[in-house]
Amino acid sequence: MAKPEHTQHNTGATRPSASRQPLPHQPSATDRGPTERNASAPRRGAQQHRIQFADRSRSWRRHHLNVAREALLRLKQTPVASLMTLAVLAIALALPSFLLASLGNLQALTDGWDPQPRIALYMQTELSDAAIDSFSRELMLREDLSSVELISRQKGLEDFRQYSAFADLLERFDSNPLPAVIMVLPQDTDPLQLPLVRNELAALPGVDQAQLDMEWVQRLAAILALAQRGSYVLGGLLALAVLLVVGNTVRMTIESRRDEILVSKLVGATDAWVRRPFLYSGFWFGLLGGLLAWLLVQLALLLLAEPAQALADLYLNAFELQGLGFQGSLIMLTTATLLGLSGSWLAVSRHLREIEPGVASSGEA
Amino acid sequence: MAAIRFSNVFKRYASGQDALLGVDFELASGEMAFLTGHSGAGKSTLLRLIMLMERPSRGQVWVGQQDLSRLHRSQIPYLRRQIGVVFQNHQLLFDRSVFDNVALPLQISGYDPADAARRARAALDKVGLLAREKHNPVTLSTGEQQRVGIARAIVHKPKLLLADEPTGNLDPELSEDIMRLFGQFNSIGTTVLIASHDLSLINRMQHRMLTLRNGRLVADG
Repeated sequence: MAKPEHTQHNTGATRPSASRQPLPHQPSATDRGPTERNASAPRRGAQQHRIQFADRSRSWRRHHLNVAREALLRLKQTPVASLMTLAVLAIALALPSFLLASLGNLQALTDGWDPQPRIALYMQTELSDAAIDSFSRELMLREDLSSVELISRQKGLEDFRQYSAFADLLERFDSNPLPAVIMVLPQDTDPLQLPLVRNELAALPGVDQAQLDMEWVQRLAAILALAQRGSYVLGGLLALAVLLVVGNTVRMTIESRRDEILVSKLVGATDAWVRRPFLYSGFWFGLLGGLLAWLLVQLALLLLAEPAQALADLYLNAFELQGLGFQGSLIMLTTATLLGLSGSWLAVSRHLREIEPGVASSGEA
Repeated sequence: MAAIRFSNVFKRYASGQDALLGVDFELASGEMAFLTGHSGAGKSTLLRLIMLMERPSRGQVWVGQQDLSRLHRSQIPYLRRQIGVVFQNHQLLFDRSVFDNVALPLQISGYDPADAARRARAALDKVGLLAREKHNPVTLSTGEQQRVGIARAIVHKPKLLLADEPTGNLDPELSEDIMRLFGQFNSIGTTVLIASHDLSLINRMQHRMLTLRNGRLVADG
């Protein structure tokens, strides 16, 4: 029967506790997360525990830094291939981001508009103010209208003077040319019912014209919602493309480093250790692709800024084109990085298990 | 006390080929032994079972105190870190220097880089290749490559050293050098098991000899 002496040998100076444990329980600092390492630390004294913990976590951090750096250097070793991959990733990431940013801008532009469908009743100009006033009171009693607002001829004139660029036009008239307007909000906002209400109101005596406005704002909002949904679908598809591109690139890297993986496993590398460089490749692909995509989007928005400003000026609107913003940029980069990591994870979990020393090198029996 | 213990071990490959048929033996700690037999007798399979590159179809393999059949897949790396292995085809990586090849097991085990460098140089010094540490192994001769493989196998001072045809491609003089090196490790307490079919060399070495024939252990002594 074997005795403990066998297993008390090969530990290095960096792992004082390892010699106390039987074979399978020698986690090195590079294999475990901080909490796990803590759990497997020796039960000797607090002092030693702390030293060892610090030592291991330092070694763990150093290892991660090294692997991250090497993964980045590896990308630099094949600059053309890496750049091609990154360009594909950047375009795939930039397209949905750009669409969503543009839609965000359109929404900001239309947000100021009240999407509630109103009907404007233009009253006949011959009617006296008193008659219009009593007419509007009658409207208030109706059940099917939730709000009635009278804009008298005088008020209309003042508003026109204040808000319109054509105020001096009014100087040419002897009397006020503007009709009184009664704005009503129908209870029923069903797009099919609204025209009926409009027709009914238009037929009332004293009403010159009834106009259902804001209908187009609703339509625009619906179109925007549709476009946004479309962008999400497109984004999802392109995210899938990013996963596949990164996965495939990492798969090829794994294939090209097959010998290294085999030898590492033979001399005691854990799955986590073997996996790590490839996950970092995916991480870098995601992050760098994301950064490149961010640049593309900002550039595209910059190109749009001037015409957008010109358009806004035409409508006397204090509109300013919004970029991705801090939050948007952060979301974009995080998503890109996570996609890169997931893509490499897919490739790694599929292909690394296939590379096992026993299976690959069955020579002589 | 046994460094390695095989208890009625059978190994049948998926192809139906029987590689080992009821192998029983014990290798004491600090012992040095040769494993011989014709090609295909099961030498490599036996070594692979110790490394858990294969699992036995029946029977038990013990390394030190550890029953390998109870070892979960995730624990295999920690078993391998306790064993030094010299491969017939030396399994060196040609994308890095001799030094980096030797330091790889230490890197994997998470040694401090300065400590690892010191140990890797000591191992290279032991096999007489310290001057070549910065070379790429591809520029070395076969014998030198084999010695780099040995340096890598002993760099973490394993209690157990396995070698699969370590002198396979070497001329007799170099072979003897290599065997002498194994003898040195054994003299400082390392358990050594060497698979080899080079009978004339083994006979001169005066060590225990395990002979396999068609998967059965036919001679021990």
